[in-house]
Amino acid sequence: MINDKNSKKIVDIIQDFSRRHSLFVLAYGTGCGAIEIPPTMTSRYDAERFGIRGMATPRQADLLLITGYLASKTLKRVIRAYEQMQDPKYVIGFGSCTINGGMYWDSYNTIKILSDYIPVDVYINGCMPRPEAVITGFIELQNLIKEGKANGAQKYKENLEWYRENQRKVIKDWKMPDYNW
Amino acid sequence: MTDTILDKEQKLVQLLEQTFKKLSGKVVRQRRVTVSVEKELVPSVLSYAKSQLGYIHLSHISCVDWPENNNFEIIYILWSPADKVQLFIKTLINRENPEIDNVDMIWKHANTYEREIREMYGIQFNGLVGAQEFILEDWDDMPPMRRDFDTVDYVDNNYTFRPGREDAGDVREEIIKRSGEDIPDFAKKYSRD
Ligand code: SF4
Repeated sequence: MINDKNSKKIVDIIQDFSRRHSLFVLAYGTGCGAIEIPPTMTSRYDAERFGIRGMATPRQADLLLITGYLASKTLKRVIRAYEQMQDPKYVIGFGSCTINGGMYWDSYNTIKILSDYIPVDVYINGCMPRPEAVITGFIELQNLIKEGKANGAQKYKENLEWYRENQRKVIKDWKMPDYNW
Repeated sequence: MTDTILDKEQKLVQLLEQTFKKLSGKVVRQRRVTVSVEKELVPSVLSYAKSQLGYIHLSHISCVDWPENNNFEIIYILWSPADKVQLFIKTLINRENPEIDNVDMIWKHANTYEREIREMYGIQFNGLVGAQEFILEDWDDMPPMRRDFDTVDYVDNNYTFRPGREDAGDVREEIIKRSGEDIPDFAKKYSRD
């Protein structure tokens, strides 16, 4: 029975299994932490053994990896990239800059808390986090997906008003397209 | 001995001072010369240095804010591949109504530096073309690189922090409190106060 509760759950399990073992990453590497992405992806730490690999465009990616500080200007691009991504989508905030401003806490043009503007599923702390920490963060995300807790996109849809309000505080001249997701 | 080492630098200063009456030059050290000029003279000094003295490369245009003296200082950094001397041409402009002639007809890429200075310090370059907005987007406060721009104040008004930053004290004191260790002497001199 396809509409039976149990069978749906099995489909979910299979879906989540495939999702968490094929995380295609769109790395938004404008922060200095991006320098830890190449070692993570290449042979030494080899993130591909977890099914994690880079992806070229937002529409093909599952995971948006924000490596470090975002200027109010780059935040605009991040929001656009995030809104173009297909469901299911996840966000990892990488480095202390995304958590609370990091060493740019008194800078006039970087945002301080990333999860005020887009929903973040996992934060990896450190300035900058080593590849081991990055991979731990990925595995944490995989566990969240397994438990069905990585529902940032859901949160974004439900609280769109609140996110928009925060975004508009930084992006004063709002000329952003609306994506129908 | 030093005379022969600084020969070409001194010659350069002499030459510039002979050509332009309202110019004072100084040899800082080997391969580094600074000259101060009035702002009206800047384009002619630059084009003279480029066409006659071989300073064909404009490395950078920089700006310093001196609110104490109510001045902006604009510095043109030139380089001569033949002499291997860096020539700093400095000029002071008034902070109240800051404007200066643009020089992008001498070096095209001066345009980029001038637009950056215009945005970051609010200095008008007469005759400068190019979009007003360069690096900042929708900026409506005072130009952020001016020294009287209070970044901490701006941040407090525009961003929020997660709780936990307020008590950000000296890390060493916190370590002592938690672990009971004493700071080694060598570390004390880096202490905040
Ligand atoms: S957390 Fe550190 S490494 Fe990462 S972007 Fe900020 S300053 Fe750079």
